[in-house]
Amino acid sequence: MLRVRNLKAAYGKIEALHGISFHAERGEIVTLIGANGAGKSTTLKALMRLTPPESASVTAGDMEFDGISILNMDAHRVVSDLKMTLVPEGRHIFGNLTVTENLQLAAWSRKKSNVDEDIRHIFDIFPRLAERAKQRSDTLSGGEQQMLAVGRALMTQCSVLLLDEPSMGLAPLIMYDMFRTLKKLNADGLTIIVVEQNARLALQVADRGYVLDTGEIIAEGSADELLKKPEIMAAYLGA
Amino acid sequence: MRRYTLNVVFCLAAVALVALAQAGALDKYVLTIITFIGINCIFAVSLNLVNGYMGEFSCGHAGFMCVGAYVGSLLSVAFFTNSNLFGAALFPPQWAPFLFPVVLLGASLAAALFGLIVALPSFHTRDDYLAIITIAANYIIISIVENIDAIGGPRGFSGMKKTVNAMSDVADLPWMLIWTIFGFFVCVMTIYRLMTSTYGKGISAVCQNEVAAEIMGVNTNRVKIMAFMISSGLAGLAGALYAHVYGYVNAQAFNILKSTEGLVMVYLGGMGSISGVLMAAVAFTLLVEWLRFVIPWLNEVSHAAGLLPAGYEISQIWKWVIIPLILILLMQFRPEGFLGNRELTQVFPRLKRWITFK
Repeated sequence: MLRVRNLKAAYGKIEALHGISFHAERGEIVTLIGANGAGKSTTLKALMRLTPPESASVTAGDMEFDGISILNMDAHRVVSDLKMTLVPEGRHIFGNLTVTENLQLAAWSRKKSNVDEDIRHIFDIFPRLAERAKQRSDTLSGGEQQMLAVGRALMTQCSVLLLDEPSMGLAPLIMYDMFRTLKKLNADGLTIIVVEQNARLALQVADRGYVLDTGEIIAEGSADELLKKPEIMAAYLGA
Repeated sequence: MRRYTLNVVFCLAAVALVALAQAGALDKYVLTIITFIGINCIFAVSLNLVNGYMGEFSCGHAGFMCVGAYVGSLLSVAFFTNSNLFGAALFPPQWAPFLFPVVLLGASLAAALFGLIVALPSFHTRDDYLAIITIAANYIIISIVENIDAIGGPRGFSGMKKTVNAMSDVADLPWMLIWTIFGFFVCVMTIYRLMTSTYGKGISAVCQNEVAAEIMGVNTNRVKIMAFMISSGLAGLAGALYAHVYGYVNAQAFNILKSTEGLVMVYLGGMGSISGVLMAAVAFTLLVEWLRFVIPWLNEVSHAAGLLPAGYEISQIWKWVIIPLILILLMQFRPEGFLGNRELTQVFPRLKRWITFK
């Protein structure tokens, strides 16, 4: 469904991706793992069609969604038409709005019917958010903010969810909770592409994985295969 | 019922004001000051949309007021008066009270269009760069106007008094006060309705975090340009009113000093607070008028006390030292302004018993 071919992207003159190819099918969890500066976040931002200076500009290659190139699409169209959205690194929630207002705002690009129903659904997934519903979101803890960021993304009625380092800055227990929730959402039909530094955790929930190193994919395979390769485990997964 | 309190209070106040003016209880000077307060309110509240709610920094708001003032004046002269410029009046002068809204609308649309022209290239930039571009736009419009001799060039343009007189001939009412109140209502309602709508939430989202807004499906470019156009259009409305109250316009009245006045009012009131900015606009206009009396008084007192050399007089120019000084002191001691980004009802929750606002 989502197919990236020989993608090159650069920040100004500095090339961050040297031609990577990968794909994701509906209902899969695919993970991109690798060290700092490997180009994982750059890949996600390029998929979201974010523009410079926030993101690198694509210089070569192609990205296809259901067979149609998305290179000339704007970010807001990716959200509204393709139903694909991003949970960015560092959450980027709207700090001056309450939890509920954050969720309401995320319904911007979709039909406005069922918004309240969907908010209740988000509160079912993340009961902690229900307790904080009327609270300004910049007063939430890191874990709650991450829940809100995921909940907000789900409010766009996305069918493909891109996550950039969802485990960053979370306590281990909350981190496991988050991944369990992602697994559950996936079982309900959500396609997930997750970028992680915590490779072991990501591979435990993912179907397939790609290992990135300085802008190139150096290994790919099913999650189980990757977990078993000793040289990859040693070099990138810290085992 | 609470929903309408504000509207009812506003209508009563407006009627009372017009009635007082009509009865002659307000002298001409007081009436003019009240009208200018109204115009400054429109000017400041519209600037607040860009600088407060959207979090951008527009420094040349007076440029849009200038466009509105000139387009409004030209339309008004072409419509209702016999002039050398346009020849015979397009409509009989008796129609003036009814067609004046068209003049205001035309002025607003022209200013909004100019806003679009400025916004299209400049919204690829942000912060300081946008500030510089808007200052440049302010100077561009002044230079353009000053170099068109047909509309008076640097001498300015007049003839709008005839339109106002034509309105008074139809019915003897304080017309410009009425139109200013009308403009004030249109401006405040537009911004209030906009900011409480979904579109307004998009504007706050852009202000907070542009990336996050984009990945929520907000077309940030369109939202920004729309907000900028609405803001400049309302500034144009203020300009058209200003031109008709004075009966004379000059491009230099809309230079960077006027833009600075707008910034002072917005930051004094609190960014992103309609009630705060309205309070600030009233306070600021009154302060500037008050300085008109205080400066000569200071001059006399300091001369009497022998503090100043005999040849030196404190002139009204000192106003332009005091106004920027207010801005500097404000940034130093109360950067959030009167109300911060809260409305009056949020600062005094008890007000909610009577009115709902936001």
